[in-house]
Amino acid sequence: MALRITQGMMHAQLTRNISKNLNKMSDIQNQSSTGMKLHKASDDPVGITYSLRYRTELSSNDQYEKNTDQALSWLDYTDSVINQAGDVLQRVKELATQAANGTNPQEALDAIKSEIEELKSQLVDIANSKFNGKYIFNGENFTTVPFDTSAAGFDPKAIETDSESVKYALGANVTIGISLTGNAVFGDADPAGTGTNVFSVLDRLMTAMTPPTTDYDAISNEIPNIETSMDRMLNARAAVGAKVNRVELMQNRIADFKLSLTDMQSKVEDADLEQVLIDSTTAQNIYEASLSVGAKVISKSLVDFLG
Amino acid sequence: MTSTFHSLETSKRSLITQQVALTTLSHNIANANTEGYTRQKVTMVATRPMEAYGMTKSTAPGQIGTGVEYTSITRIRDAFLDAQYRDQSDIAGTTSVQMDTLSKLEGFVNEPSETGIRTVLSDFWNAWSDLSKDPENVTAREILVERTQALTDTFNGLSKQLSDLDADINMTIETSAEQINSMIGSIASLNDQIKKIESLGDNANDLRDQRDLLTDKLSKMVNVTVTDTEDGYTINMGGANLVTGGETTPVNAISLEQSYDNGTLTGGEVHGMFTSLDIAAEFTGQLDTLANTIVNGQFQVTIPKGSVLPGTTVPTTADQLMTVNGINGLHQLGYTLGNPATSGQPLFTVKTGFTSITAASIEINSNIAADSNLIASSMRTTTDGAGVSTVVSGNNSLALLMSQMTEVKFSFDETATGGGIKEATLGDFYSALVGALGVKSQSAARENTNAEAQLAQVDGSRMSISGVSLDEEMSDMIKYQYAYSAAARFMTTFDEMLNKLINNTGVVGR
Repeated sequence: MALRITQGMMHAQLTRNISKNLNKMSDIQNQSSTGMKLHKASDDPVGITYSLRYRTELSSNDQYEKNTDQALSWLDYTDSVINQAGDVLQRVKELATQAANGTNPQEALDAIKSEIEELKSQLVDIANSKFNGKYIFNGENFTTVPFDTSAAGFDPKAIETDSESVKYALGANVTIGISLTGNAVFGDADPAGTGTNVFSVLDRLMTAMTPPTTDYDAISNEIPNIETSMDRMLNARAAVGAKVNRVELMQNRIADFKLSLTDMQSKVEDADLEQVLIDSTTAQNIYEASLSVGAKVISKSLVDFLG
Repeated sequence: MTSTFHSLETSKRSLITQQVALTTLSHNIANANTEGYTRQKVTMVATRPMEAYGMTKSTAPGQIGTGVEYTSITRIRDAFLDAQYRDQSDIAGTTSVQMDTLSKLEGFVNEPSETGIRTVLSDFWNAWSDLSKDPENVTAREILVERTQALTDTFNGLSKQLSDLDADINMTIETSAEQINSMIGSIASLNDQIKKIESLGDNANDLRDQRDLLTDKLSKMVNVTVTDTEDGYTINMGGANLVTGGETTPVNAISLEQSYDNGTLTGGEVHGMFTSLDIAAEFTGQLDTLANTIVNGQFQVTIPKGSVLPGTTVPTTADQLMTVNGINGLHQLGYTLGNPATSGQPLFTVKTGFTSITAASIEINSNIAADSNLIASSMRTTTDGAGVSTVVSGNNSLALLMSQMTEVKFSFDETATGGGIKEATLGDFYSALVGALGVKSQSAARENTNAEAQLAQVDGSRMSISGVSLDEEMSDMIKYQYAYSAAARFMTTFDEMLNKLINNTGVVGR
């Protein structure tokens, strides 16, 4: 038996179809207005697991990006501080060379000595450099001043700085110690004053210039020790440079990773806008057609033609 | 031998019958849009012809027709389609409620977004990362407290939404039980009325329509099988009769739950509500597992060398792999900012009134919330000659370990509702949970679409048989109208014939 069609059926079918078309249109419009095809888990259950992972990794990645930036600032600051210390030593070396000349009168030596005294306290100041409120040459003890001039019996050459390095997390399971210990820059603690600790060298220089024990040979003997200290600082700067390289490498990797993560995230989450626009036009046409056909068909029945 | 007025009688019958047909037709048109209305048809039968078989039969030939009469007014309806409709209707009822619930759950989870658990968890780890760079910094500590609070708030909020949903569904089940009772009451009383009317031999068409409509609606609520008996409909839900003739067995939320538990309630919206409660409970369980695992779940962690473990004074000389119980366990391996060195307190605590960590009960330790210096970030102390331990506040080992927890695999309690996941990172567990929710929601939506389509299909078949077609009624109307007019015309003709016979004949002698 052929299906008997009634007005009610046509009306129900039309309503169903129009609502289906309208639903689809609203879905597409939502996609085009947000630019995303993934709005809730059921839109793409597999995709959402990727999406959540990418978002988490992007978030960690942004954090690592922040961390590398801060690590770089720390390292740059350390580098410039050590550079200043190097300049100080350069001046010390000039003064020592000048003082080693046996023709210098005591007055000249006194002047040189007092300049070295100043330079020494400048070195102490440098050794107490703070970055963001942290003493950069005291390892993990960065809240305490390493070369505390106000301490009783303060002697910079006897100071032992904290041996641990401040660590920054720059990636998943990647941590880098970014601080240098004060001893690595200024020499190991040397309470006896006989070693190559830069403060020991300065102390011995000044002692050699002080009468009655003025000793030109001793002064010139310290020149290689000054050079040793300068080399130590150069080495420290090289270490900083190497760390900067490593951090910059991490920075590049983080940037690359971010790019590929964003790319992958976009593939999972973003709507193909061209396709959406085409679909949107199609859906709109179909919707309008269903409305117009509905309007024409639904109103007509035999009633309209009976006189 | 027929009576002189025989034909008058015949046409009168015709007029009456066509008029009844037209009246019924008008009733059909009037109810073209009435929900549950079944088109009615007048059955016309030629009346018994003259003369009847018998001893007195004349010798006149032929059986002279005596016209028409209507024997019944019947509904055009197919009981088989009704049964099919009711079967399909309970499936559609279940799936629509399930779909609705799952889509609500998706709304609660709200992923992908910048406000869901994933985000607050990431923010939490990132706050530890920031703290690792500035362990003594009060701002970083306050931010970490805020992030921790945001994490617990998100869990609490989600849990609240879930328990609200649970309460809503339970409330709806109670309302549904009332609706069911009202429906079965009406059906039972219709059974009685129909029985009374039909015992006189008539068809109680419109009452039957009402009863069928109510039964259809009932089938959307619960799974029912309908048996048409002499006493009316017997309506059975999985073995128990809800309606037997004029009697009903009312339901309530408790009896419905029992039926669901013993497997007799298998379809319909109410069934969907019970399965929704299960779905919501499972999801709540998984969230609870997640919250509890964050706080207490075991994982392995490498304690860097140089760390001083609480209770000892000697720094470890080499990296040491340790099994730790959750973030709380890890936090207690570190030292707070204050001196003398004090090891950390549990970062998370249970809200008063609860016994274990769940999504609802998780909260930040109120001591820590009040004093961010109690956050442990250092794992190093120094001990002076007098044996007093001092925290190396710049040490950030614990904060670093915390910030790297995204990569660490936690052990999930298999006996709890964890979707069978034994070991996973917190992020992976969460995304598996959201993914599973998505799959469920997607398939519920698909099942619902299918069920609705099939229901529409069966309903279409039913409407095709029982629905009122205006075209059909109009053409029938013309048919009956002409039959009526013709009968009237015949009466006029016959009248004229009699007029001729009575008034214009036998005029002789006038």
